[in-house]
Amino acid sequence: MNPLKLVIKEIFYRKISSLIILLTVIIASSVSVAIYTLSKASEDETRKIMREQGLNLYIYPKGTNLIDFYSVNNTRAFPEDYVDILANSKTFDAVRHLTGILQVKYSDWKDHNGSSHQIILMGYKDEAMQRFLPKQETMGFDVKKGTVHLGALIARNVDPGESFEILGSDGKPYNFKVAGRLEEGKGMIDQGVAFNLKDLQMVLGMEGKINKIEALGCVCKDGRIKNARNQVQSIFTDLEVTEISSIADARENQRIMMNKYGAFIIPFIILSCLLVTGFLFYQNIIIRTREIGILKAMGTGTFLILIMILSKAFILGLAGSILGFFSGTVIAEYFGSEIFRFTALNIKPVWALFYYTIMIFPLLWMISSWIPALVASRIDAAETLSKE
Amino acid sequence: MLDIQNITKKYKKGPFVYTAIDDVSFKVKKNDFFAVIGASGSGKSTLLNSIGGLIHPDTGKILYNNNDIYKLNRKASDRFRKEKIGFVFQQFHLLPYLTVEDNISMACFSNSHYENINPMLEKCSLTELKNKYPSELSVGEKQRTAFIRAIISKPEILLADEPTGNLDPQNSKVLLDLIEDFHKNGGTVLLVSHDSTVSGYATETIRLEKGKLT
Repeated sequence: MNPLKLVIKEIFYRKISSLIILLTVIIASSVSVAIYTLSKASEDETRKIMREQGLNLYIYPKGTNLIDFYSVNNTRAFPEDYVDILANSKTFDAVRHLTGILQVKYSDWKDHNGSSHQIILMGYKDEAMQRFLPKQETMGFDVKKGTVHLGALIARNVDPGESFEILGSDGKPYNFKVAGRLEEGKGMIDQGVAFNLKDLQMVLGMEGKINKIEALGCVCKDGRIKNARNQVQSIFTDLEVTEISSIADARENQRIMMNKYGAFIIPFIILSCLLVTGFLFYQNIIIRTREIGILKAMGTGTFLILIMILSKAFILGLAGSILGFFSGTVIAEYFGSEIFRFTALNIKPVWALFYYTIMIFPLLWMISSWIPALVASRIDAAETLSKE
Repeated sequence: MLDIQNITKKYKKGPFVYTAIDDVSFKVKKNDFFAVIGASGSGKSTLLNSIGGLIHPDTGKILYNNNDIYKLNRKASDRFRKEKIGFVFQQFHLLPYLTVEDNISMACFSNSHYENINPMLEKCSLTELKNKYPSELSVGEKQRTAFIRAIISKPEILLADEPTGNLDPQNSKVLLDLIEDFHKNGGTVLLVSHDSTVSGYATETIRLEKGKLT
């Protein structure tokens, strides 16, 4: 008879013990899958919150006093090529969405009533594609040449359909089509006007110059600001980095904490389940001594007996890990939708994890049955078969 | 065919040493029906299991066709039991999760063995029960199933350890007739029992007492 058939029949005959072993695999694998999937969702959530918050890292010339940055036009400018150099660097991976900006205070802008206002002008360079990182959706302002986006306070002073006019450093008036009128508190300083970088450089006579780079700090294990600072300064010693801390920090701390719990809970549950399984397999062998004895008396080799016990562990491990993967994903989807706002509907099965699950858990369960299998292979057939 | 030469087997139980078989020698020729009669604890089962390659004697040799079965490597020893020996035990030792047919097919390792299952079931009046599990059988039916499993692969030697120990006289006779039939068809039988009536079927009878031949 095919030994595999024998193993399967035995699994179905000893239903309760097989079911408990199957349950241990399901528990261990589903907890692992759920925690991993939730931690991935948490990472995505953090990333999305950070995107929602806007670019959170400022890269600017060393020695710049940020208090003065908005109020006094004394910030040193630097070549806009710096952005491209950073984007093309192999070693620069701590930040994403590098956007070169020229930002200056403009003291004497006249609205349609002729009133004079102090406003902030911001010229946005197209977001740099980082050569050595996966391509990502851009998140900065995409201002087309010849157009401007108006902050909420400025927009109140420019009638719909009217163009935005500003005097250049050369004394000439420049007109731009209004492509966007932003709502209060959305996307940009309310008293600001966003230009395409080239346009603003032309208005201000600062061709090729920017005075800050904004970026999004990545979710890094060892702290994004420290990492980003080291990487920027290894390329440009005259730049420095500061971070606008946010909810993202709290979220990231939460994520790190969750990973720490996961690193404790997953091995704890797996080990506990393996111990239960080892005990159940041992008990199974004790119940089956005569059965194993008769197999030996009929000439079944020690190796085949070992393989049969391990096969049982493998079959239950495989079935349990498949069920565990799906139940773990369902658990993650259920609880994830309660926990995460942005990623609630995006928690999907992590298929790469499926392959790991169906490889690792059957293997672990085979290891847990190894000692019982060795005990089985050493059963004294004569002794067990002679017992009345 | 079988040459048992001065075998001794002792067991230690705490400070005590118990001699199960003590310097036993005899020969079994091909197609013998050998009955070993002895009281409980006389060493019959130890002797039978030693001949079947399951208990290594402390001293002495067991030669099968002039080869010492305890000098065979593990694989050859397994093959010896699989191909040459059939065991029948007092306790049947059927696998509870296999049907009658599956229990028998466990011992099959060639197509001719599988083909022989139905005729054997017919002969032993088990055809109707072939899809039943051991828990659904009477003791006589269980022992007949165990008997078919022992001889289905056409072994040269049938080793029967108190095969009628759990059977009523009627079922005992049925089983002994089947064993005799195996013998008549060229098989060699070594049967141990405390019941001296089985010697009526044997061509040779020896008696064991406290591990020694008498």
